[in-house]
Amino acid sequence: MALTLEKIESLAPDQASLTAARKLLKVSAWPTLCAAEGLLWGECQGSGATPYRVVVAEADAGYKCSCPSRKFPCKHALALMWLRAEGKVGFADGSRPEWVKDWLSRRRGSAGAKTPGEDRDGPAPSMDLAVADENKVLDEKAQARAEAIRERSRAEREAAIVAGLADLDIWMQDQVERGMAGFVTQSAKQCRVIAQRLVDAKAAALATRVDRIGAMLFRLPDEARPQAAIRELGQVHLIAEAYRRQGELPEALLADVRQAVGWQTTREALLADAAAVRVEATWRVAGVLTEVQPDRLRRIETWLWRESDAGAEGDLPRVAVLMDFVPVATGAATSGFSAGDRIAAELVFYPSVLPLRAQIARMTGDTQTSNEDIVLPETSLAGSFEDYRAALAALPWLGGWPLTFQDAEVRRAGESLYVVDEAGGIALPLHASQALHALPLAGAGRVQGFGIWDGYEYMMCWANTALGRWVSA
Amino acid sequence: MKSAAFAKGALPALLKGTARQALPEDEIFSAGQNAALSALSLAGQWLRFERPAAPAVFAVEPRIEDRRRMLPDELRRPMLRLLRGRVGTDHVAMAVARALDEHGMRPHPFDLPQLDVFVRSYAERLGATAEHWKARQSKSVETASAYDGDALHDGNWAEAPLGKRVEYLMARRRTDADGARMLLETAWPQQNADARFRLLQGMQDGLSESDVAFLKSQDKDRAPRVRQLARRLLGRLGAVDENPAVAACLGRIRREQTGVLRTRAALRLELPANVKEQAAPAWIRETFAEVSPEELARKLELDMREMADAAAKDRYLLLALALMATVNQRLDLLAATVAHLGDAWQLLCATGLDELGAMLREERLEWAEILIRPYGRKLHVEYGAWDWLHRMLDGAAPAALLESVFDSAWLEDGEGSTRRTVQWMEVMAALCPAEQRGELKARIADFEPQITASAIQLMEFLDGLEASTEDA
Repeated sequence: MALTLEKIESLAPDQASLTAARKLLKVSAWPTLCAAEGLLWGECQGSGATPYRVVVAEADAGYKCSCPSRKFPCKHALALMWLRAEGKVGFADGSRPEWVKDWLSRRRGSAGAKTPGEDRDGPAPSMDLAVADENKVLDEKAQARAEAIRERSRAEREAAIVAGLADLDIWMQDQVERGMAGFVTQSAKQCRVIAQRLVDAKAAALATRVDRIGAMLFRLPDEARPQAAIRELGQVHLIAEAYRRQGELPEALLADVRQAVGWQTTREALLADAAAVRVEATWRVAGVLTEVQPDRLRRIETWLWRESDAGAEGDLPRVAVLMDFVPVATGAATSGFSAGDRIAAELVFYPSVLPLRAQIARMTGDTQTSNEDIVLPETSLAGSFEDYRAALAALPWLGGWPLTFQDAEVRRAGESLYVVDEAGGIALPLHASQALHALPLAGAGRVQGFGIWDGYEYMMCWANTALGRWVSA
Repeated sequence: MKSAAFAKGALPALLKGTARQALPEDEIFSAGQNAALSALSLAGQWLRFERPAAPAVFAVEPRIEDRRRMLPDELRRPMLRLLRGRVGTDHVAMAVARALDEHGMRPHPFDLPQLDVFVRSYAERLGATAEHWKARQSKSVETASAYDGDALHDGNWAEAPLGKRVEYLMARRRTDADGARMLLETAWPQQNADARFRLLQGMQDGLSESDVAFLKSQDKDRAPRVRQLARRLLGRLGAVDENPAVAACLGRIRREQTGVLRTRAALRLELPANVKEQAAPAWIRETFAEVSPEELARKLELDMREMADAAAKDRYLLLALALMATVNQRLDLLAATVAHLGDAWQLLCATGLDELGAMLREERLEWAEILIRPYGRKLHVEYGAWDWLHRMLDGAAPAALLESVFDSAWLEDGEGSTRRTVQWMEVMAALCPAEQRGELKARIADFEPQITASAIQLMEFLDGLEASTEDA
C-alpha cells in the first residue's frame, strides 16, 4: 500500500505529533534513509548521541522506533512515513540491517515472520551432535516439569474461578431480591465491588463485562435502565452457569464461554490450531471503532467485510473483526487500516459458534486504498435483525453483531437519529456518539449500510448513499 | 411460548425485587436452587429478542434548495486537513470560505460535522446547506427557506442571508437606484439593527436627492449606528442643516494661511490635551468617522484636493481625511491624502477601522493599491497591518503587494527573521493573488516545513478549486 498523507493523518495519535513530525521532514535529520521490499527504515538524529532507529512496513503501516516516546506512532515513525508519502526525498536501496530483520521476525502476519525453529539457519555442526543428544534428554525432563506446573496452575485457576462464580451468584441473588429498579441507582459502585472479586478469582473478561454495566446503564435513558440491568445481569448469570456446566457444552460454545470468563487463546496457539477456521480472501475495511475499557486499555476494532469468494463458500464468515488493545496513555487510537482499505489476507478465526474475531495469519497481497463502494447483500434491516436473533439464539451472551441493510433511511426524532426500515417496521437508534457526525445522513434519502448492533444502539460504520460514501469518523 | 410468558410475568418481580414481589409459580422455571437467577436470565434473553421501540413521530427534514456545486472529492481531504482542529490564524478559513463562495461551491454535506466550527463561522458564504446546518445547530427557528444568490429576485430577496441581501441590493442600486430604495423601504420593518445598518451601507452607491426622504425617516431609528449612518449620507447630499459631528471636527481644526507669492489655506488638527500620541488614531476614528468629506469641505470652503493639500503638513489631519475617504468610499480623496502620508496603511490600521462597508471588489483593490503604493520595496510593515489588510480586503491583495515582497529582500532575511512564522506565511498565502501563487510557493519552498505547510496547503487547495471550476 502506498503511504498517503491521509493514512498518516489517521495514524497520528494527535495533532501535536503531526506538528512534531513535520519538523523532521528535513533530509539533514536523517543520516540513513533506506527502502527495500516494502520496508522503509532510517536513523533519525535526536537530541542524544545515538540516532533513533525507525522502521515502517508500507503494506500495513506497521512501525517500530527505538525512541522512548510513549506516543504510538511516535513523531519519528510519522516523519519517515511522511517523507515516503511526499516522495520529495530519495530512499537508498539497501540490504536490511539486523535490527530491521529482528523487528520483522517478530511481527504478526508479516511475510518476514519466522516460523518456530527458523532461527537455526543451516545444519547443526557435527561436533555438537553428542552434546545435543544429552541436551535433548534434559529438555524433555524440563518440558515435563513445566507441563506439570502449567497443569497445576490451570487447575488452581479453574477452582478459583468456580469459587468466584459462587460469590457472583450470592451477589446477584442480593440484587434480584432488592430489584433492578433499585440496583441501577448504585450499579457502578456495586458492579465495581464484584468485578474486583472476579479479578481476584482470575475471571478477568467476566470482571470487565460486569464492571462496564454501570457506565453502560448511565448512557441509556432513565426509563430503559432497569430492563437493561435485567438483560446485562441475565447474561452474566448465563455465562456463569454455562461455565459450571462446561462438560455439557459443544466444543465451539465451550470455547466461547471460556473466552467470556477470561481464558485467552494466544495468537501463537490460534495460528497453530489446525481446526481453526481459516479464510483466505480479499477483505474491505468497513469500519474502525475504538472504545476505552474500564481497565484503561483502548480496544480498537477493525471490522472487515469479505469481498471475494473464499473457495467453498459454505458457512465461511462474511465479516471478521480484528481487535487490538493498547494502553490509553499511549494516545494511539487507530489501527493501521482505514475504512475503505482493501486487504488481501488469510484470516484465522478464534473458535466460536459464531466465528467473528480473527487474526491475520498472513498477508497475501498489498493493502490498497479504495474509494469503491462495498457491495452489501440484498438484505433489509428487518431481515438483518432476524439474522441477529438467530445469532443470539446460538450465542446467548452475544455482544456487538454486524447488521447490513438496504433501502433504509436515517431519520431524526428529537436529538436522536434512527435507521428506519419502514417496510420492515423497524427503527434502530443510532449510537449517541454519532448524533452529530451522522446528522447529514438524515434527509440524504435511501441508504445501504453496515454497522454494529449491540442490542441497544446501532453504530453505523459505512453507508452507501446518493451523495457518496459515508464512513464513521 | 411458555418461557416467553413466564419471562414477561417475571418482569415486575425482577424490577421491584423478589423480596417484595414473588416470582410467578412455574413448575419448570421456578424450580431449583437458583430459580430467581434463572428467571433473571430468561427475562433478560426475552428482552434481548424484542425489537427496540421506535419513536411515534420522526422529524420531517426540510428540502434545501442549494444550487452550488459540491466540492469535488479530490479536494475534500485537503480541505479537512486545512480546517479541522486548526490552531493557527483564521486567515486560512477566511480564504477557503471566500474561495468557495466565489466559485459557487459548497462543502460536501458529509464533511459538515467535521468542519462544524468553520461552517458555523462562515455559513453565509458556504451556501444554503451550510446555512441550514448552522440554523439547526443553533437550535433557533429553522429558516423558512434558503436561496442561492443566483436564484434571488425581488420577490424573495428579503428571505436570503444578510450578505446576499446586501449584495442584491447593491446590484439593484447600480441598475435602478430608486427601485432598489423602494424595495428596501418595503422590507425595512422586518430587518434587525445589524441588517438595517448593512443594508443602509449598500445604499451609498447612487446616492441622490430622491433618497433624502427615506434617509431623514431614519432619524428616529432605535439603533444609534443606523441614525449616524443616515445622517452621514444626508451630510454627503448636503441635506442636513447642522451635524454636531461636523461642528466637533471643525472645533479641532485650525485654519491658517501659508505661502508668500500665492497664499493658500493650511489646516492643522489640534488633539485634545488628554489624548496621547498612541491613542490619537483611535480618537480620530471616533471623531471623524461620522463626518462625510463633502460636508467638511463645504464647511471649510475648499474642494477635496485643496483640503488634502491644506492638511499636507499635519499627519493627524491627513489620517482623519484618509479615514473619511475610506469610510465614504472617496478614493480620489484617499489618493490625494496618501500622497502626503506614506504610512497611511499602518496609521489606518491603528485607528481600529474594521470594515470597508459596501465597497465593491474592484474598489477594495484600488483602495489597497493606494495604501500600498508609497511603500515600494520597503515593506517595513508589522504583521498586525497585514492581518488588518486581509480582513478589510476580504480577498486577495493587489498584485503590487506581493511584487513588493518579491522585489525586496523581505523574504530572504535570515532564518531568525520574525517574519518566518506560521502567521506570516498564512496571511501572505491568503492575500496572494492566483497568478502569483506559484512564485510565492517557490520563494518559501526552502523554509522550515512546519512554518510553511499550512500556507502551501492553502495555496494548493485554492489552485485545485480554480482548476476544478475551469474543468466544470
